[in-house]
Amino acid sequence: QLFFSYFKDLVGREVTVELKNDLAIRGTLHSVDQYLNIKLENTRVVDEDKYPHMRSVRNCFIRGSVVRYVQLPPDGVDIELLHDATRREARGG
Amino acid sequence: MSNWPNSDDNLFSSSLASYLDRKILILLRDGREFLGTFRSFDQYANIVLEGTLERIMVGNLFCDIPLGLYIIRGENVMLIGERESDEKELPPHMTCVSVAEIRKAQKEELKGSTTRKMDFLDFD
Repeated sequence: QLFFSYFKDLVGREVTVELKNDLAIRGTLHSVDQYLNIKLENTRVVDEDKYPHMRSVRNCFIRGSVVRYVQLPPDGVDIELLHDATRREARGG
Repeated sequence: MSNWPNSDDNLFSSSLASYLDRKILILLRDGREFLGTFRSFDQYANIVLEGTLERIMVGNLFCDIPLGLYIIRGENVMLIGERESDEKELPPHMTCVSVAEIRKAQKEELKGSTTRKMDFLDFD
């Protein structure tokens, strides 16, 4: 639930999602759900020539289970806030 | 308006419902690519795809295989993309070939990659 809330706060930011098959997709975070499935808008594949499949795709849904990384803007994280939330969650768990 | 169960019934819902009846592209975990019209889904991301085409690309060759109505099990789904206009559809600088030719090309590619993997054994 912590990361679900965290990603909800990142909606509207530009992120790069790297999948387990090494495909990386940059886009604006449109929405996220409890499974950490991600919907991106204005998508562009990083290294587009290597992956011609998605040329005509501008919005996509990415299943949470295939995400390896979500790369965020450096100012995308309020580290103190996240730190506190994690401590609270750890205490409660 | 809709009977589709949504956890957040707002504009930013991370639901596949917004893609219904549109042309989509599905990437599966095994690397396969399917195109078609998105007709149905559920909480596991099981998908019903109408007019399914499997698009196979090997090097500069590609082939679309018509498959009809498909149900795809959600656990295999990697990504679902909403396709824009058809003009950018056909891969640029790529030649459309027959199923037989693309299968041959796939076999060649597989052979090539297996031989490369075995190189470390230093056979003569």
